[in-house]
Amino acid sequence: MTVASPSPTTSATTAAPAVEAVALRKAYGPINAVDGIDLSLPAGRIYGMLGPNGSGKTTLIRLLTGLVSATSGEARVMGVEMPSRTNLARIGYMTQADGIYPELSVWENLSFFAALYGQRDRAEMIRALELVELDGRLGTPAHQLSGGMRRRLSMACALAHHPAVLFLDEPTVGVDPAVRVQFWDHFHRLAAAGATLLVSSHVMDEADRCDELLFMREGHVLAQGTPADLRARAGTDNLESAFLHFAGLSASPPATAGSSQEAAR
Amino acid sequence: MSALRVTAVVRRIIAQFRRDPRSLALLFAAPVAVIALLGAVLSGSGASTARVAIVSESSQPASAAVVSRLTAALQGQPTVMVNTDVHDAATARQMLKDKQLDLVVNIPADFTVQSPKLQLVTLGLNPTGEASVIPNVQQALFKAVAGNLGGALPSIERSTVYGSPDATTVDTLAPVVVGFFVYFFVFILTGISFLRERIGGTLERLLATPVSRAEIVLGYSLGFGFFATLQVATVLAFVLGRLDIPSLGPVPAFAIGLGVHTAGNPLISYLLVLILGLGAVSLGIFLSTFARTELQILQFIPIVIVPQALLSGFFWPIDQLPSLLQPVARVLPVTYAIDGLRQVMIAGADLTSGQVLFDLAVLTGIAAVFIVLAAATIRREVA
Repeated sequence: MTVASPSPTTSATTAAPAVEAVALRKAYGPINAVDGIDLSLPAGRIYGMLGPNGSGKTTLIRLLTGLVSATSGEARVMGVEMPSRTNLARIGYMTQADGIYPELSVWENLSFFAALYGQRDRAEMIRALELVELDGRLGTPAHQLSGGMRRRLSMACALAHHPAVLFLDEPTVGVDPAVRVQFWDHFHRLAAAGATLLVSSHVMDEADRCDELLFMREGHVLAQGTPADLRARAGTDNLESAFLHFAGLSASPPATAGSSQEAAR
Repeated sequence: MSALRVTAVVRRIIAQFRRDPRSLALLFAAPVAVIALLGAVLSGSGASTARVAIVSESSQPASAAVVSRLTAALQGQPTVMVNTDVHDAATARQMLKDKQLDLVVNIPADFTVQSPKLQLVTLGLNPTGEASVIPNVQQALFKAVAGNLGGALPSIERSTVYGSPDATTVDTLAPVVVGFFVYFFVFILTGISFLRERIGGTLERLLATPVSRAEIVLGYSLGFGFFATLQVATVLAFVLGRLDIPSLGPVPAFAIGLGVHTAGNPLISYLLVLILGLGAVSLGIFLSTFARTELQILQFIPIVIVPQALLSGFFWPIDQLPSLLQPVARVLPVTYAIDGLRQVMIAGADLTSGQVLFDLAVLTGIAAVFIVLAAATIRREVA
């Protein structure tokens, strides 16, 4: 497996990286869920992590948030080595599961997580709900929301405290296309304001919205670069084929590509 | 430690329960219903009249006089009804089998005035239940035999140091029941709540915020402590209070509450149960680490709850347990809660009593151990 050299845009940045990993490894028994990853991600950009299920995306996020401790190597966020409880106040994490309390109302869920992050500004909390279009449903119990609405509430809970670094684990699953577009517009606004976003997905069609991509498989970063850069290096015009190229699997027609990606799961 | 974050956890737990009426019902109505049922069952069993026959297998002339003396003595007893139509032992035994008699007093063939021996015969199908009729009969017998034999035996009276000899089973069992139910319900509710936190993904999210594990355990303890406080108040009010409702039309008169007499300060009872409850909160959090589903939390009932019911002095005094089990009983928190509650409610002990202070200290220690264990294991499942 070859780890691609950083793209020209990344290496040009001089400020300390927002997210950093040095030979980061996490083993569960004999399996290395994250197998020696080196990362250096400058602030103010959207990074997309792409790879099949089990490629180590969620474990990498957990290492970066300090939810699990590394078997070896280092993880740093905003220059602070993780795990660090105080540093978590600058981090937002939208989990793959909704991670909200079904009995509680929209407002109770949001204000609970906001309180834990130290956010007490009611106007900011309302703004987070406006973004996900749930400001009209403050009193609705979460269990009465549709799947997409729960996903949006989960997003608002990760945003309300204005994190500098935002980890989003498959944020758009179950969200309808119109809201998905809004999500991405907002992600770009956050990045423009200086936030760093690391978004995991196994859907390639969202990849083009990211500033930079990390192709992941079996705990490794196969390649890193802008979508255009990765396509050019793989000599293909679609990201799916580019992924297979970097995974060392022959670039085959899209139909076969899909099934070999399934096999990798 | 941030008061704001702990408060957020406490408020969240209270809000969750407000939205879950069934769990609230479990917390408040269930213990009251079970205790009411227990009270009704226990008070019912003591009220029945024992049907007794006196027969003789002895050829001694004195035995006839003994029979008539015994009959006369027993007929004076309010809870005994003597059947004077039965005279031979075989008929009496058959009537025991047919459930027409509860107890037969038999003067055996080897009866002599010098060694006055009597047999008390019961059916033997339900030894504990049958034994409950014996004390009344026995006392009358002693008197009768003593009188007949010229005062050779002293008269016997029953007396107790604490409470009164006619304290019902409900009175002595009430302290035990209060402690036990609080422990049981608090454990189940915390265990399941925290398990849902683990499987619903909210714990992962909680741990990705600046909240510490100690703040989570403290928030849970205070949140559930709030409900445990209300629960103990409800249960104690029901056990200690009594509201008599007069008969209304077809509804016969009945009473709400057991009206159990407490010799000591109810606030000390309260304190004992509250500390027991705090230990149960942490135990629930701790054991939720080892469960993956709600069903698996319920599987802890036979492991955690039932042994405490059997060994903590609920039914049998700890001193009478087999020596192998006594050390086990002495590490169970419910043991100390029950002992303390008995000291306070029956013996009237207060905070100057070394025994009560010891019970409180042990309960606090056990709660502290589980608080530490709970905080230490919170991260486990997430990792």
